[in-house]
Amino acid sequence: MTGLKKISVLALALLMVVTSVFAQGTREDASASGKVELTVLNYIDMSEPNSANEIKMVWDKFEEENPDIKLVREDLFNEPFHQKTEAYVASGQLPDVLYMWPSGRSTSLHTTHSVKDLMPFLEKDGLVDDYNPATIAPQFAGYLAELPNGITTTHMLYVNAKVLRENGFDIPKSYDEMKAMVKPLKAKGIDLIAMDNMDAWVMQSCLFSMVVGRYGGVDWYDQLSSGKIDFTDDWFVKSLALIDDMYRSGMINRNSLSSPYGSSRGSFASGKAAFYIDGDWSTASFQTDITTGKALISPESQQKDFELMVIPNLPGEVIKNSNSGVVGTGWGMSANIPAGSAKEAAAWRLIKYLQGEYVQTYRLTTGASFPSNLKVDVEKVVEERNLEPFIAKRAAYYAAYTPITPVIDGVLHSDVYNVINTGLQEIGLGDKSPTQVASEVQKAWDSWKKNQ
Amino acid sequence: MRDVKDTRSTRAKINLGLTYAVMIFFTVMAIYPLLWLAMNSFKTTTEFQLNKLGIPRDWVLVNYKDAWVRGKFPILILNSIIYTGITTVATLIFSFMAGFAFAKIPNKATKYIHGSFVIGLLLTLQSIMVPLFLIINWVGLYNSRLGVLIPYIGIAMPMGIYLGTEYIKAIPTALVESARIDGATYMKIFISIIVPMAAPVGVTVAILTVTGTWNEFMLINILTSSDALKSLPVGVQKFAGALSSDFGKQFAALMIGLIPMLLFYMFFRKEITKGVAAGAVKG
Repeated sequence: MTGLKKISVLALALLMVVTSVFAQGTREDASASGKVELTVLNYIDMSEPNSANEIKMVWDKFEEENPDIKLVREDLFNEPFHQKTEAYVASGQLPDVLYMWPSGRSTSLHTTHSVKDLMPFLEKDGLVDDYNPATIAPQFAGYLAELPNGITTTHMLYVNAKVLRENGFDIPKSYDEMKAMVKPLKAKGIDLIAMDNMDAWVMQSCLFSMVVGRYGGVDWYDQLSSGKIDFTDDWFVKSLALIDDMYRSGMINRNSLSSPYGSSRGSFASGKAAFYIDGDWSTASFQTDITTGKALISPESQQKDFELMVIPNLPGEVIKNSNSGVVGTGWGMSANIPAGSAKEAAAWRLIKYLQGEYVQTYRLTTGASFPSNLKVDVEKVVEERNLEPFIAKRAAYYAAYTPITPVIDGVLHSDVYNVINTGLQEIGLGDKSPTQVASEVQKAWDSWKKNQ
Repeated sequence: MRDVKDTRSTRAKINLGLTYAVMIFFTVMAIYPLLWLAMNSFKTTTEFQLNKLGIPRDWVLVNYKDAWVRGKFPILILNSIIYTGITTVATLIFSFMAGFAFAKIPNKATKYIHGSFVIGLLLTLQSIMVPLFLIINWVGLYNSRLGVLIPYIGIAMPMGIYLGTEYIKAIPTALVESARIDGATYMKIFISIIVPMAAPVGVTVAILTVTGTWNEFMLINILTSSDALKSLPVGVQKFAGALSSDFGKQFAALMIGLIPMLLFYMFFRKEITKGVAAGAVKG
């Protein structure tokens, strides 16, 4: 036998042996052990300090407490999660319980009615009053498709009060007071507002949506949908003009348009900017990483030198102190599960647990989300567990800034909000005027409406 | 005369200097991102936020430990080796057998069958993802290694068949005919004549299949749900994203994903260069 022949025969043999050994799946038959098997699609950021704990504290605990249920969990994050969800929806073979958004990235789950309405389950168990009413309102498809973790506010103004104090300023009470700080701070090499606007969604979600609410009112989306107002009207042009003014006056540096999301947190924490604009979810990234024991802002400093607020009084606003927000992500149940089956009961037991007092308290302590379940006594948890000051300040922030107005990419279709996102960047670059952008958005809106 | 020589020598030196400058520039452009990634994988997120370009003040090894454990990398690496190994061997065998038949044993149906394989080169993964997911589910191979291997081999074969057929066509047909006259079977001719002569393009196909399968992420993500069946790129993706909160662990996970490919290139550098050159010229 020549060497080559030997290699060929060996390769073939190896192929057959390895294929036969490894080619089978890893399926286990739960029904044989009398357990109900639930498939779960979970969304988890493995780089998040508490992710390993979450598996132990949340998922393992559920299985310990519910020995009659076997969970087959698939953990994914970011784009892979969304791609998998789309494949599941297209095939009509959904996992029994899955993590989802109230609209936006989970639109296909809503429009295809791939998940059950959870309101009848809440009503049957008498749990409706346990949840913040805003969180269990009908979602994209007109029913409660997912039971949310809470409400996410997409605009948060992080304030470095130490920088302000050292430069003779107080916490600003109006937009104009903030604007007046630009020159004196710039003279000392300090930016007024740090923001990362390279990704187009950041400006729209973390600042512009709040501004639109202030000028358009709480019901701007309803009025727009019913044709009572247009994007070319004053409320929207004024909102765009405010962003234009922020760039022109140097409140926001035009260089922020080349800054990737999240990259300014360090410079803000170290005092190179007086304010930082992001969503409420970013508070966790300033807190202590339990694996290294280090924090971008130490707990002492969080207490003494930093505040969480919204941009105060805008000139000509129609509502005050409002913030933009959207119902948070949560858990849905596949519509394929037969009604009244043991699987349905098991799936509901899991969802109740995931949005129940225990898990929501745990998620509050890690900073992952702010509870939708009213049984969680936030103040008590903060005090008893000695949580980092940002968690307590976050609780106060939610109470202080109401009403909550819609987030643009939470209510508008991507055909429309993508034009807004691009327009905001063009304003930032000084390429287009607010009126031009408003007219382009109106065109996109008209065209989208025509196709409905 | 001397002046002319001096001018030539100075010009040669300038040319050499410019060549080196360009090469150094591109080397730095290629290597710096890797060095940056490696350096930042040893920083805490806090330090990364405050010091993005500098050397770590404290070299944090816990990023690697956490990424390794949380990402379940040992099983993912084993799976990647299994998928890549089996796909590469199977692609080479099946593609070259088909290529031999298309190139040296033609019949009326050859151009249609060959075309039906090669058209696969034009298909994007995105376009076949959902139908493939449905078919794999339908035949009961969802969440199994076989359900991953069959599409992987099927996707790698069009390129293998295309390169293999073109290369084997250039091998003199007289060799095959002589062997047939001497009584050799087609299998014997394939093993004794075609395989040794087509080895250079075999290396090219192997390289393309190894890198393609090793880095493949979309199909494995769709076709499996169990962590025990997924591969390295899926593990890395669990740490990577615009909203990711811990850059240190994200970079450590990316480094873990990168190291096997770097080793592959390091050990097979010469073969890869030869194979790609041979495949490019004769394929």
